[in-house]
Amino acid sequence: MDFSLTREQEILRDTVREFAQRELAPQALALDEKGEFLHDVIKKTAELGLIGIITSKEYGGNGMGHLARMIMIEELSRVYASLGFFFQTGQIGMYLLENFGTDDMKQKYLPGLCKGELIIATALTEPGGGSDPSTITTTAELDGDEYVINGRKVMISEAQVCDLAIIVAKTGDRFSTFLIERENQGFDTPRRENYPGLRSIPVGDIALTNCRVPKSNLLGQEGRGIAVAITGIGAVGRTGVAGVGLGTAEGCYDAAVKFAKERVLYGKPIAELQAIQHMLVDSNLEIEAARWLCYRAAWLLDQGVSARDAGDDIARCKLYACNIANQIAVRAIQVMGGYGTVPEYEIVRRLNDSLELFTAAGTQEIMKNTIGRSIIS
Amino acid sequence: MERERAPAIINLVGRNALEEALRIRERFSGSVTVITMGPPQARKALEEALAMDVDAAIHLCDEAFARADTLATAQALAYAISKLEHSDLILCGDATIDSGTGQVPIQLAEFLKLPCIFDADELVFEDERGLLIKRRWEQGYIKVRTKLPAVIAVTAKINQPRLPNVSGIMAAIRKEIKKWGAADIGADLSRVGLEGSPTRFFQISEFHAERQGEVFQGSPEEVINMAIDRLVKLEVL
Repeated sequence: MDFSLTREQEILRDTVREFAQRELAPQALALDEKGEFLHDVIKKTAELGLIGIITSKEYGGNGMGHLARMIMIEELSRVYASLGFFFQTGQIGMYLLENFGTDDMKQKYLPGLCKGELIIATALTEPGGGSDPSTITTTAELDGDEYVINGRKVMISEAQVCDLAIIVAKTGDRFSTFLIERENQGFDTPRRENYPGLRSIPVGDIALTNCRVPKSNLLGQEGRGIAVAITGIGAVGRTGVAGVGLGTAEGCYDAAVKFAKERVLYGKPIAELQAIQHMLVDSNLEIEAARWLCYRAAWLLDQGVSARDAGDDIARCKLYACNIANQIAVRAIQVMGGYGTVPEYEIVRRLNDSLELFTAAGTQEIMKNTIGRSIIS
Repeated sequence: MERERAPAIINLVGRNALEEALRIRERFSGSVTVITMGPPQARKALEEALAMDVDAAIHLCDEAFARADTLATAQALAYAISKLEHSDLILCGDATIDSGTGQVPIQLAEFLKLPCIFDADELVFEDERGLLIKRRWEQGYIKVRTKLPAVIAVTAKINQPRLPNVSGIMAAIRKEIKKWGAADIGADLSRVGLEGSPTRFFQISEFHAERQGEVFQGSPEEVINMAIDRLVKLEVL
């Protein structure tokens, strides 16, 4: 058993860590307050080759792999979770395009996506629910060589800024997945939610009204849309959210350790008080456990294990990393006392971010269902 | 010191030197070779440099180089540079982040019989062989001119080093790192490593600086005389 990272992965980790300190740390608080999408920072991540990290070289990526991606998301989210989350959502669409798109689609869109010139959203959830895909009411009806799509998607990350969207719609009794360009007539993003966390990721509705897309924009086979979408959400979405959770937990822990070493009470730093040390130990243990769950799930994907076969490993890492992100944020506030909720200490921002992770790419309860099924099967 | 337990990184200002070299290559073409002397784990720093897209990397690694002071380090580097086919410009960081003596670039230039400019904040090529260098000078700076070849030690002010991109990182691991020992560079063993080091460490200890304040009271003339008497007594004057 070899737990070591490759030298490439180590250099990547150090590079992303430095990038996050250079580009994100000085402005994280301001970015969160403004709540604007991170166009400029994303361009810089593209120059580093981070957007195409799981995309093949022939389509403009570098194919470094899922574990490399996990490390990247972890390091970015440690400083500013919104940027880590951008990779979670954007790379679902890129993964689906590469694995289920036509050659024309891949050539046309993937290089621009890798360069950060295009943004892609993936839209499954509707007002009737997200966890149960059978509640989808958006329809796609074939009319000649085009599908006519009508419906409304809600709580879609990057809805307001996307150039492309992958949506799931009903085709007859079954479901199919389509790629739609924002420029298509009938594509609208009428509402943005005002969530407390992940403030730089716009989340909102995509309304489709007689939106016509060519038949060739079908991703995968007609009628297999749920399987297509779940493959991307599983392999890329859930692992991505897990990485954001892990990084968020680490960011809170880093801040709590720093504070505990500097804050003097009773004539010594509070880090020397056992009550404080025990809280730091609990966070430290949880982070170590989460990191190995996350790395293992990503490593399995790099070994060629399908998202379906790695499903329970992916669910475990998503469930655990997102739970501890929230717990460790709250614990950091306890360590920091009154300072813990002062915005400048950036724990409340991270606590708010952690709240968004519970439901992203599948609720915690859905993760438990997946793990539960694997236990009793 | 347990050097094996310390992470092997490129000296921070060494990365500025590397960045400047890469910028010069981008402007004039040519090639950039990075050289380091150190134990086996120093290879990691070279891998990082290769990820930044240098053309070649040389690792001076031999028990004969061990426990070198700055003079023996500069000597080994000079041997290696002399072995290269051609070098127009030797760029170094102005000091290391561990011992921080800043002596190696000057000693290296002496061994290579080249001009040395250190504390360089800015390099401007006036022509392909002539450089105008802005260098720190006490509280300000001066500008000096030199012709190539030369040794220039840069400060962290000179640029912001680039970060390697993923393709560079992946390519770096496949690139060759030449490992040169004392025999490969034709080193006189009495001039490298511990043998070639006139400096001897007796003890390494933490330095605590404490200021002792003293207040003198009286007229200005009296206070001045009291202060002078005190300094004489302390053998400062």
